[in-house]
Amino acid sequence: MKLKRTKLLVEPPASATSDIAFILIVFFLVCASVEPDKGRAQTLPRSEPEPQKDKQSQNIEVELTRDAVIMNGNPVLKETFIKTINLKLADKAREEDKIVAVKSRKEVPYSHWMDITGIIEDAGGIITLQLEEEQTVQVQ
Amino acid sequence: MIVKRRQMNASVPAMAMGDIAFLLLIFFVILARARDDSHLQWKPAVGVELVRPATMNASVVIDKYNVTHLNGREIPISTLSKELKVILGENVAGRRTVLLKIHHEVTAVYFEPVIEAISEAGGELHHILEEDKGR
Repeated sequence: MKLKRTKLLVEPPASATSDIAFILIVFFLVCASVEPDKGRAQTLPRSEPEPQKDKQSQNIEVELTRDAVIMNGNPVLKETFIKTINLKLADKAREEDKIVAVKSRKEVPYSHWMDITGIIEDAGGIITLQLEEEQTVQVQ
Repeated sequence: MIVKRRQMNASVPAMAMGDIAFLLLIFFVILARARDDSHLQWKPAVGVELVRPATMNASVVIDKYNVTHLNGREIPISTLSKELKVILGENVAGRRTVLLKIHHEVTAVYFEPVIEAISEAGGELHHILEEDKGR
């Protein structure tokens, strides 16, 4: 008597491939859309080509180097800076007195810049950027 | 004599469904990539007390190669302000949000002119950061 061998190789149903592909689509799209979308809003006054020098001198000036902070010409530690900026801005009532001019050296990384400007904003300061204007001088 | 009508079999082969879905996947992925900036390489700086922006009208990215992109398209900084003015148009305050995504190591020489251009165009800046879990 001959016994029929049972088939071991079972093909998956072809109709299921569309479902598998669809699940894959959803998986890849979800993976692709995981992007950071939270952050911090920042209000900057519109840029003016010629700032008023007499008013600016009354405001706090912060200069940033690669990893340090210089406040009104004096280098300060980050902890000291937090205390000082909070003290200086605490008694300012008018908006124009809360302006803090931030000047950055070319090599300042974005992470350091965000850290310091965040501290200024938390203390109630309004940030203005002091940029070096490019001038073209013709040499005859 | 009754002649039996021949049955026409016109079913779509189920085997092809997988291929169709896969081609659709490629089509949508390419379409999506052309419009957004998810293909750009950048790592956000850290921050605390982060909020989600209420609106998003434009997106500016400076990637890890210091290249500036507006809505996923590479753009020279000199024309950024002009193009942003076109995008933002006459939108009222609160509807002029510009998402700013800057790689954490990019230096001031690259990001300050971009911030200035957004400010000049009247955009409302929203820096995209990563939550600092250590603080």
